[in-house]
Amino acid sequence: MDKTNNLINLFFIIIISIILSGCAKEEPENEIVIWHNMRPEEKQILQEQIDKYQRLHPDIKVIQLYKETEEMRSGYIIAAIGGQGPDLIYGPSDQVGPFSEMEIIKPLETVFPQTYLNKFNEKALIYSNGHLWQLADKLGNHLTLVYNKNLLPVPPKTDKELIRLGQKLTIDKNNDGKIDQYGLVWNYTEPYFFIPFLTGFGGWVLDSTNTPTLNTKAMVNALGFIKDLRDKYKIIPPEADYDIADVLFKEGKAAMIINGDWSWSSYGNAGVNYGITTLPLITETGLYAKPMVAPKGYSINVKVKGKKLKKVKALLEFLMSAENQLETALKVKTFPSRKDIYSNPKLLADPVLNNSEKQIEQGVALPIVTEMRAIWDAMRPAYQAVLGGAISPKEAAVQMQASAKKKIKELREDIENPVWGIIIQMLLVISVVLTMFLSRKNIIAFFKNFKKDSYAYLLAFPAIIIMVLVVFYPFFYNLILSFSNMSLAHIHDWSIIGFTQYVKVFSEPQFYEFFLKTIIWTAVNIVFHVGLGVMLALLLNRKLPGSGIFRTLLILPWAVPQYIVALTWRGMFNYEYGAINLILVKYLSLSPVEWLKSPLEAFSAAIITNIWLGFPFMMIIALGALQSIPNELYEAADIDGAKWFQKLTNITLPLIKPVMLPAITLGVIWTFNNINVIWLVSNAGEPSDKTHILVSFVYKAAFNLYRYGYAAAFSFILFLILLGFGLTFLKRTKATETVY
Amino acid sequence: MKRRNLLLDILTYSFLVSFTLLALYPIVNVFTISIRPDDRLLSTSLSIIPEGATFKQYINLFTKTSFLNWVLNSTLVSAVVTITGVALASTAGYALSRFNFIGKQISMLGILTTQMFPATMLLLPMYIMLIKLHLINSYLGLIIIYSATALPFTVWQMKGYYDTIPFSLEESARIDGCTRWQAYYKIILPLAAPALVITALFAFMTAWSEYIVAAQVLQDTSLYTLPLGLKSFQSNLTTEWGLYAAAALVVSLPVVVLFIILSKWLVSGLTLGSVKG
Repeated sequence: MDKTNNLINLFFIIIISIILSGCAKEEPENEIVIWHNMRPEEKQILQEQIDKYQRLHPDIKVIQLYKETEEMRSGYIIAAIGGQGPDLIYGPSDQVGPFSEMEIIKPLETVFPQTYLNKFNEKALIYSNGHLWQLADKLGNHLTLVYNKNLLPVPPKTDKELIRLGQKLTIDKNNDGKIDQYGLVWNYTEPYFFIPFLTGFGGWVLDSTNTPTLNTKAMVNALGFIKDLRDKYKIIPPEADYDIADVLFKEGKAAMIINGDWSWSSYGNAGVNYGITTLPLITETGLYAKPMVAPKGYSINVKVKGKKLKKVKALLEFLMSAENQLETALKVKTFPSRKDIYSNPKLLADPVLNNSEKQIEQGVALPIVTEMRAIWDAMRPAYQAVLGGAISPKEAAVQMQASAKKKIKELREDIENPVWGIIIQMLLVISVVLTMFLSRKNIIAFFKNFKKDSYAYLLAFPAIIIMVLVVFYPFFYNLILSFSNMSLAHIHDWSIIGFTQYVKVFSEPQFYEFFLKTIIWTAVNIVFHVGLGVMLALLLNRKLPGSGIFRTLLILPWAVPQYIVALTWRGMFNYEYGAINLILVKYLSLSPVEWLKSPLEAFSAAIITNIWLGFPFMMIIALGALQSIPNELYEAADIDGAKWFQKLTNITLPLIKPVMLPAITLGVIWTFNNINVIWLVSNAGEPSDKTHILVSFVYKAAFNLYRYGYAAAFSFILFLILLGFGLTFLKRTKATETVY
Repeated sequence: MKRRNLLLDILTYSFLVSFTLLALYPIVNVFTISIRPDDRLLSTSLSIIPEGATFKQYINLFTKTSFLNWVLNSTLVSAVVTITGVALASTAGYALSRFNFIGKQISMLGILTTQMFPATMLLLPMYIMLIKLHLINSYLGLIIIYSATALPFTVWQMKGYYDTIPFSLEESARIDGCTRWQAYYKIILPLAAPALVITALFAFMTAWSEYIVAAQVLQDTSLYTLPLGLKSFQSNLTTEWGLYAAAALVVSLPVVVLFIILSKWLVSGLTLGSVKG
C-alpha cells in the first residue's frame, strides 16, 4: 500500500541517518585521556611533552582536554560516578578533598614506590586520611606583588610604603575628576585574592579540626584595611574584577597588581617591563601578607586498573621526569616539584622564579579539605557586602562564621531513614494505580479506538517516544532522587529518606526571597519582551520602505550565541569602562551607575541583557499575527471614523491575542528557568549572592555543596510552580482553545 | 492609496533606527574585541575600530586550530538533527492537529511540561542513562538528545500552523481519490512549507550552538563540535578573548545568514496559535 510504503521509507531514512552519524565506541586500552585546567602556555608544553612520549611509544595515544575549573569538577564527578571519565585528572590540590571522599580517585601510595615519591618536595605529595591522592608537578598558584618597573623602580616592602607609593602613583592626569592611573589594582572582591591580608593580620580560615575561624579580630582588621585602601587612601579602583585589573596593568594604567604565577608571562608578552616581589609586611602585626600556596598535579581515576594502570603510570613518570619539569618551569615560570632540579643553575639564575620561590616559602598551604568550599562560599557574600557598604567589617566576620558553619553542616549532612523507603515506594505505586483508576475510561477507550486511531498514533509515536526517552526517564530519576539523601556522604549508597529534602527547601529563608525575585525577573522580562515586540511589530507592519532591512537587523540578537553576548554585556556594564556608563555620562549628562556592585543594579543589568536577547522572538510572533489580520477590518473601521487608538484596542490587540498567549506561556516558562543570562551577567550571583533567581540559586547552593538530593527536590518544586502557573494561565486565558 | 502621514513616518523611522542600533551595538562590540591587537575583553576606549586593528585572529582561527574539523562535525550533527526534527515534528504536529485520539490532550500538555523542568538538573540522570545505553562519546547520543530538545517547541509550532490550513482541502483531496497519506504528503505538507522551514531552523539552531550536553557526552577531541572547540580557547583566568570573539562571530555567521534568508518565512511560518482559530 502506498501510504505504508512511504512511512516505512521515512523511518528508514531516519534510522540510517542516525546510524551513519557514528556508533558508540568501546574504550580503547591504549588511549589515555587527561582532563586539566591549564592555561594556554602550560597546555602547549604539555602537548609537546605528550608528542615526545608518543614518538617513544607509538602504540599509546594520549589525549589532553582543557576544562574550566568548575566544569571539570562537576563533570568529573558525574562521569566518574558512572564509571567513566578521563584516566588522569590534573588540577589544584583542593579538588582532591571531595574526590577522595567520594572515592572516585585512586590512592597513589599503592601505585608508586616510596623511593620514587622521595624524589619530590613533600609539599607536592597530597595526603589526606592517610592516603596519597595527588602527585603535583607544580608548586605555587600563589599571589605576589607585580609592579611596572617604568612607573615604580623600587617596590614597597610594607603596607605603609604601599599606601604612600600608591597615593603618589594614583593620578588624575587631565584633571577631569577621573583617575587615569591607579597605584594598585587587583581582583580584590574575590576571597582568594583577599586571603594574603587576612594572614597578614594574623588570621586564618580553619583550625586543625576543620572548624571555621572567620570571626576574628584579624578578619575585622583585614576587611577594614581593604575598605580603607579603596575609600580612605583611594589607591585602588572603586570597582575591579579580574579582567579589569588585568587590562589596567597591561595598559600601563596601574603601577602595581596583585596576581598569581599564571599571569606573569602574559605581562611580559603585553610589553610591560614588570618585576615581581613578595607581598608587603603588615606593620601593625609585623607579619607578612601570605598568599595561599597550592600544588597542582595529577590524580588517577578509580576506574583505571590492571594493564591500563601500568600504562598510565608510565606516562605519569614521563611527564614528571626531571627534564620535563625543568623545561616547563623555565618556559612558564611555575615552580617545579622535583627536588633533584632545585640546584639547577638555570633555575637559580631566573629572577622571576627566584622571587616566586621566596613567596612560596612565605605562603600558607591551601587546605585540601572539602570544607574549603563552604569557607569560600561563606566569605564571598559578606566580604562583598562590606565593600558595598551594606554591613560593617565586624558584622561581616560574624556572618561569615555563621554561614560557614551552616554550610559545613549542610555539606556533612547525613540523613538516614529506612522506613520512608517503603512508604515512598508504596506512595508511588498507589499514585500509579490511582491515576490508572481515574483515567480508566480513557484507557478502555484507548484500546477500543486503537484501530480507528492507529494512523494518528503512527504519526505521533516517533516524536513522543524520543521525548519520553530523553526527558521522562531523567525526570522520574530526579523525582526519586528528591526523596533521597544523595550527598557527599552518600554519593554511591544513597537511600530514600522521605520528604526531608522538601522540608529543607521550604525552611530555607532565602527560598522566599529568590522566589519573589524570580517572579519579578519573569514578569519584567515578559512585559518588556511582549511590549517591545508588539510595538516594533506595529511599526514594521506599517510597511514603510526599508522595513525588511530593519526587520532582519532587529532579529539578530536572537541569532548570535547567548554565551558571548552575555559576557559582552557584562563588560558594557562596567563602572568606569563600560559603554553604558560612558554613554550615560557623555551624551545624557547623567551620573554613572555602579551596575555590578549593588544587588538592585546588578539585577537590573541582568534583566536589561535578557530583554535585549528576548524581544526579537516576540516581535516575530506579533508580526506574523498582525499580517494575518484582514485589511478589510481596518477599512471598515476607517469608514466608521475610528481613531488610531480605537483601532489598536478594538481590532489589533484582540486579534493578535490568541497568537500571543501561547507564545507568552512559553516565554514565561523559558524565562523562569533561564539560568544562563543571570549567571553570566552577575558572575554567578554577585554581589553577595543577591543576584539570583531560583534556578541559579539551586544550581549554586546544591552543586557547590554536592547536595544532589536537595537539588532534585528543589528543582521538582520549581517544576510544580511552573506547572501550577501553566495550568491556571491556560485555563484563565482560554489559550487552550488554540493550543488543543 | 492611503495618504502617508509624514510625521508618523519620521517617528516610525527614528524608533526603528534607534532600536536597531541598540540591537546591533553588543554584536559590534564582539567584532571590536575580535580585531583588537591583543587579547582583551575590556578596553578603556569606546571606538569601534580599535588602534592597530588586525584580522590575525581570523587567520589564526582557520590556520592554527582545528576549526574546520569542528565545523564539519557540527554540520553533520546539526544536519541529522534538522532532518530528524523536521520529519518527526511535521508528522506528530499533523496528528495532533487533524485527529482526535485518546491521549491527545495529555500529549499536548506533556509536551509543554517538558519545558518546565530546569534543564541543568536533568544532566546527571541523562548522563547515567547514556552510559547504560553505551552512547557516551558518540554522535548518536547527542543527536537523540538534541532532537528531543528541539521537538517540544517544533511540534507545538507545526500543530499551530496546520491548524490554520482548512480541513476542507484534505476532504476534497480524499474525494479526488488520494489516500490519507497522499492527502497529507501532497496537499498539506507543501502548504505548510513556511512552518517546515522554521522547524528546520529551530532544530538546526538547537544543535549548532549547544554546549553543556556536548561537553558531557563527547570526550574525544576528534569528535568535538563547534561550541566545544570554541570553549577550548578559554582557559583558567586567561581567555584568548580575541580568538574567542572571532570564532563566536564566525560560528554565528551561518545562523545569521539563515535568519536573513529565512526572515520572510519566519514571520509567516512561526505560529503557535492562529488568528483564524
